[in-house]
Amino acid sequence: MNRRGFLKLAGALPAAGLLPELAWAAERKTKNKTEASEKLVSSSKRQKAVVLIKLAGGNDGLNTLVPQRDYSQYAKYRSLAKVPEHKLKEFPLDNGMSVNPYMTSLRRWWEEGDLAWIQGVGYPHGVLSHFRSSDIWETATSAFEHSEIGWLAQVLPQYKQGLHGIILGEGLGPMAGKDCHTIAMQSPQVFLSQVDLVEDIQPTDRGSPALRHVVNIQHQLHDAGKQLREKMSNPQHLAGFSTSVLGRKLESVAQMILNNVDTAVYKVEHSGYDTHANQINVHNNLLFELAAALNSFGETMKQHGRWDDVIVMTYSEFGRRVQENRGGGTDHGTASVQLVMGGRVSGGRVFGENPRLKDLDGDGNLYMTTDFRAVYGTLASRWFGVNNPWSGFGAVPFV
Amino acid sequence: MLTFSEARHLVSRTGLGVEWDSVKKLEGLTREKAVEVVLNPAPAPIRPAPAFTPWHKLEPMRDISAEGRKDAWSIAQTEGKHLQGWWIAQMLLSSSPFIERMTLFWHNYFPSSIQKTLQPSLLHKQNLMLRQHALGNFRNLLKAVARDPAMLVYLDGYENVKGRPNENFARELLELFTVGSSEYGQADVKAVAKVFTGWGVDQSGNYVFNADQHDGSPVTVLGRTRAFSGDELIDMLVEHPKTSERLVERVWQQFVSGNRPDKLTVQSLAAQFRRADYDIKALLRAVFNSPQFWESSSRGTLVKSPVELLIGTVRMANYPRESIGEMVNLCRLMGQQLFDPPNVRGWLGGEHWISTQTLLVRASYLSKVSRGNLNRRVDTGLRLPPKNQQEMLEWMLAVPPVNKLPDIPGNRRLANALMLDPAFQVS
Repeated sequence: MNRRGFLKLAGALPAAGLLPELAWAAERKTKNKTEASEKLVSSSKRQKAVVLIKLAGGNDGLNTLVPQRDYSQYAKYRSLAKVPEHKLKEFPLDNGMSVNPYMTSLRRWWEEGDLAWIQGVGYPHGVLSHFRSSDIWETATSAFEHSEIGWLAQVLPQYKQGLHGIILGEGLGPMAGKDCHTIAMQSPQVFLSQVDLVEDIQPTDRGSPALRHVVNIQHQLHDAGKQLREKMSNPQHLAGFSTSVLGRKLESVAQMILNNVDTAVYKVEHSGYDTHANQINVHNNLLFELAAALNSFGETMKQHGRWDDVIVMTYSEFGRRVQENRGGGTDHGTASVQLVMGGRVSGGRVFGENPRLKDLDGDGNLYMTTDFRAVYGTLASRWFGVNNPWSGFGAVPFV
Repeated sequence: MLTFSEARHLVSRTGLGVEWDSVKKLEGLTREKAVEVVLNPAPAPIRPAPAFTPWHKLEPMRDISAEGRKDAWSIAQTEGKHLQGWWIAQMLLSSSPFIERMTLFWHNYFPSSIQKTLQPSLLHKQNLMLRQHALGNFRNLLKAVARDPAMLVYLDGYENVKGRPNENFARELLELFTVGSSEYGQADVKAVAKVFTGWGVDQSGNYVFNADQHDGSPVTVLGRTRAFSGDELIDMLVEHPKTSERLVERVWQQFVSGNRPDKLTVQSLAAQFRRADYDIKALLRAVFNSPQFWESSSRGTLVKSPVELLIGTVRMANYPRESIGEMVNLCRLMGQQLFDPPNVRGWLGGEHWISTQTLLVRASYLSKVSRGNLNRRVDTGLRLPPKNQQEMLEWMLAVPPVNKLPDIPGNRRLANALMLDPAFQVS
């Protein structure tokens, strides 16, 4: 169904609260705003959202985007942990790479230009420890720096006030930092039961900086609770959403977006990517789940006219070793791929260079060709429209 | 003569929870006398260690197979939780909380992690070493740290051998443990790494010097050239004025105020520390007797760490506590996973302890601790000794409450309200 068709249908929907957004989305696309719709825009609170999906454990980039043109070279390194060549016809790209055949549910997004890939992403002197490399990715530091301040904590306080991010799961990661207002929750329902305990308190200029900070954060927290209570007390079930663990989390995210929760970033985790042994089936299953959940999410956003307001991005602490190990798995590696999806993504494109399988580092890992901070910088400047802390790393024009 | 509120201040900065009896013990003493009481705690027993798989068993498992590696990982995770629980129980029950706080201070100064090392037994050993030196001599402490097996693994020192240097420990020794980033260059890092080649861990998980892996050639470090021994090099780094100044700043931010101390104060305290030949107790004595420590403007300027909040609250009034396992979990959710600091710089602490997420966990915890109590009719062992509202306020909070007090009288109700006041989060 195209947008115009849906809009007609939407007129009959009982969810009156959603109509202003729908009208606005359709108008904006046709670049033909009427006075009436402009009025609607200003009165509705459409929040744009980035949805981060952390592929925890280290996602094998080479089996996500498989070298089709260099297949013989790839197959030399992989006898057990390889995607069969004939399967690469299912989702080929135009650059000699082919998407893992278990991700074909995303093919339509690629064809419609709403899905892009970034490859060769990493940082110089890749660290092979999960913890360190996660820290590096989440704080946008180099292999030799340490920081506790997440990369989004350097962006979001410039972008908006109030609640910056919601994490479904644990660990603030990219949104860690005292000035980044982030809440982590198992689900909105569990969060609401906890936040009831927090009383409101107005920020004050009385007392020590430490006390003022506590008061300010308590105020932020109370606001977040109030907001979620108002908007999420009775979320509608989204029929047909992918039912995997990841699917459930993305369904919660979708509900929060559709209910106009005022926050800029959501983060969920998809774990199990640390595939040291018997990788092929495990990894295919993971990618299948991922693709199905992303497809449901995109579908839902599109149906509700919110696809232009969201951008989904995956990341992982590292890729995996080019040469498989003796157990049919792969050990920790370096550069890997990122997936980006959304109505405003410059999709149907692959950014970054194809992996150079003949040119590996001393550990047998790929050299990175796109710095992950260029990806962050692009989001900072082109999505959030704020000062880019990583302008020195260039940009990847995926949005 | 210390007033109640001054005695409370000293206890809150040096203990775990403002225990009524500890405050009363110091009230009426002179500052100097009270500081001596704090600095000379009676030795408290250390809880028996949980069972750990020893290094010589755990380490080779990783080399056998992928399964072996997985098993070793699981063992490290389980025993790591036991180790965290062991320290939390020790902090809950110790009669000398100041020793625990100083051990935690050094753990944060010289961090090592069960996640990087995957060796809980070595981290336990390191904790015993840190508490042994906690109030001793900084020179000896640093020499012990350099030989500590957990540190040798955490900062890859055990892989630093002649011809194949690993610079990790060398860099952090210069940058974090001693002179700081302004004082050295990459050539110094390389030279220091060379000096410590051959420092390793033997079969039984103890420090060993492997002479055949040691590169004893002369090197130049911070402009001085010679064939340093590791200990000689540590002496030189300890004696560098920046080392003591940086330590003074850390002590200050831990015990006195969240604000940076002024330069003169730092230099004067650092000079006293050097004159006392790096006696840690002498430094703390000077800090606790400084006028700034006692100024009323320094009250409420420090955010309670997760450990202070979790353990201190229970100790303070003998509130019923969560299981040890749950306290380990809460400590993690509040951002202070013991034996697993975020990185080699340790926890940033201060205002960084409080984010929307961690404050939510703090509020849930405090309300559970206090509410559970109010509903229970039976005697829980809860102790709220103050006789009136004023005494309650002075005892429970470092600064006046932000919220309005409850209208209905009663110590329990008041205690619950004060625990949920923002002022309860600061010390």
